[in-house]
Amino acid sequence: MKTNTFSPLALLSRFSVLIILLGIGVIFALGSEDFLAPNNLLNIALQTSIIAIVAVGMTFTILTAGIDLSVGSIMALCGALAAGLAVKSGLGTFGGISLALIAGMLLGAINGLLIVRGGMPPFVATLAMMAVARGLTLVYTNGRPIAGIDEAFIFLGNGKVLGIPVPIIIMIVIAVIAGIVLRYTRFGLHVYATGGNEETTRLAGISPGKIKMAVYIISGFTAALGGILLTARLWSAQPNAATGWELDAIAAPVLGGTSLFGGVGNVGGTVAGAFIIGILSNGLNLMGISSYYQQVIKGIVFILAVILDLFTKRKK
Amino acid sequence: MKIDFKTLSQKYGLVIVFLMLCLGLGLLTDRFLTVSNMVNVLRQSTINGIIAIGMTYVILTAGIDLSVGSILALTGVVTASLLQSEGVSVPLAIVAGLTLGALLGLVNGVIITQFKVPPFVTTLGMMTIARGLALTFTEGRPITGLPDGFRTIGTGSLGSIPMPIFIALIAFLLGYIVLNHTTLGEYIFALGNNPVAARYAGINTNVYIIFVYIVAGILAALAGMILIARLNSAQPTAGLAYEFDAIAAVVVGGTSFSGGEGSLWGTLLGVLVIAVLNNGLNLLNVSSFYQPVVTGVVIALALLFYKLLRR
Repeated sequence: MKTNTFSPLALLSRFSVLIILLGIGVIFALGSEDFLAPNNLLNIALQTSIIAIVAVGMTFTILTAGIDLSVGSIMALCGALAAGLAVKSGLGTFGGISLALIAGMLLGAINGLLIVRGGMPPFVATLAMMAVARGLTLVYTNGRPIAGIDEAFIFLGNGKVLGIPVPIIIMIVIAVIAGIVLRYTRFGLHVYATGGNEETTRLAGISPGKIKMAVYIISGFTAALGGILLTARLWSAQPNAATGWELDAIAAPVLGGTSLFGGVGNVGGTVAGAFIIGILSNGLNLMGISSYYQQVIKGIVFILAVILDLFTKRKK
Repeated sequence: MKIDFKTLSQKYGLVIVFLMLCLGLGLLTDRFLTVSNMVNVLRQSTINGIIAIGMTYVILTAGIDLSVGSILALTGVVTASLLQSEGVSVPLAIVAGLTLGALLGLVNGVIITQFKVPPFVTTLGMMTIARGLALTFTEGRPITGLPDGFRTIGTGSLGSIPMPIFIALIAFLLGYIVLNHTTLGEYIFALGNNPVAARYAGINTNVYIIFVYIVAGILAALAGMILIARLNSAQPTAGLAYEFDAIAAVVVGGTSFSGGEGSLWGTLLGVLVIAVLNNGLNLLNVSSFYQPVVTGVVIALALLFYKLLRR
């Protein structure tokens, strides 16, 4: 990842995500005068924060050349569990949220077990989990929203500390922790190594199985956290919440330069990638483009981002 | 000997599981083993069955197609609109819908082979794009009221066989013949087994990979037509998560995700197992919310079973 020789192409691909971010920003600023209003910019950051948190966890799985398609369903299930346990089971906000976070890690651990022990390809194991967790959400909620969460819970999604919305603060904390873990810890090194070359990793005495278990638990945790924040923001848990969010959560790291083949990428890129998606949605909204058509654009951007990534990697 | 044991337990293991499932449900509820319920199960499994044929082709090349559910919805609403507001004749509308399905599959195949984008990424993108197009095209509203001539493919019957079952049988037979008795099928197995060797043997692997995604697209479109003909309505949200049921059927049927190993017979049994399970849950008054949970667990069990078998 670190090169001593100066290469314009490497530099370009390293900062390409920031260049794209800037480019889109300029286009929307010219296209709509509301875009650069401070309120709108804060709004973008708020809307981006939840997907960015989930995408940070996704970055870990993709770095090991894996994938987690179950994040949208885990968000919905854990968001519903947190609300249900807090309100219906009377465990209170703290108890509900803690248990929901643990549930997210457990679901991630099951993904990890199916992949490591069961030898299932990651996209199959997590596709099955996507269906199972969505089904469990419908079973748990009976297909109806869960409302009635208290002030403290709602504060997590809608409150502000020193003028900054709480989800943005949580996003920054998660991104900083993840960044430090990946860059400066032995575990982070092993995550890159597992994705870079699993065989070499094994020969170097690292157990790729343990690392993989860990990354799916991390992804389950960040998905649960994202689901809880989504519940807080909407004042209620919706059984169909976060349907299709796995696409955004995968697109963010890919736009941010994380290779789907593992071993290459970083958290900073993922957060920038999440902001590209957030700005794109916001700008398209301001321009009055229907949410249906936005789906088409998102899908095309997703595929183009992967093609661009493969193209620059091959050139190197 | 070992190989024989393996194929035997793979083939007949599933048959035994299926029969035991039927027997168990027959004992649990007397509504299960009736002729009308059996026909019902078959009719319900036709749509998943048709999609699963294409999915088998794709998975045999070590690929995957997550976009079939969305392709079904998009081709469904386009066909319905051709029939309803454009006044296109029934055969022409059907051909147009199938062609659209083929085109979407072609796009998948070209992106996968020419740009080397992993299949699950390409088809995940297509899943979103085709769904968005279906919603944009209809502005989120269903298109209802289709001509009787068209509705026959969903509600009519040939002799005593309901039309959808008849169509699914033809699709299965065609799929079977192509896969097992043509060079085309041989190449699909070969490139799934070992793409590098297939390329060295002079097989233009890209062409065959594109071909399987086109097949998946056409069959998704065909399934969509049966669905809208039966419901007399094309919903832009139709086919949600259908890819999951199709993949489940293929996996339960013993086709390997690493490609080159599997059969359409297995897929057929897989489709029936899943249909019977869902039907049984219905008859036992289990909430339909549990269906994906049960299917997901069945996938995991099947994969672990085959993994043990392949050791």
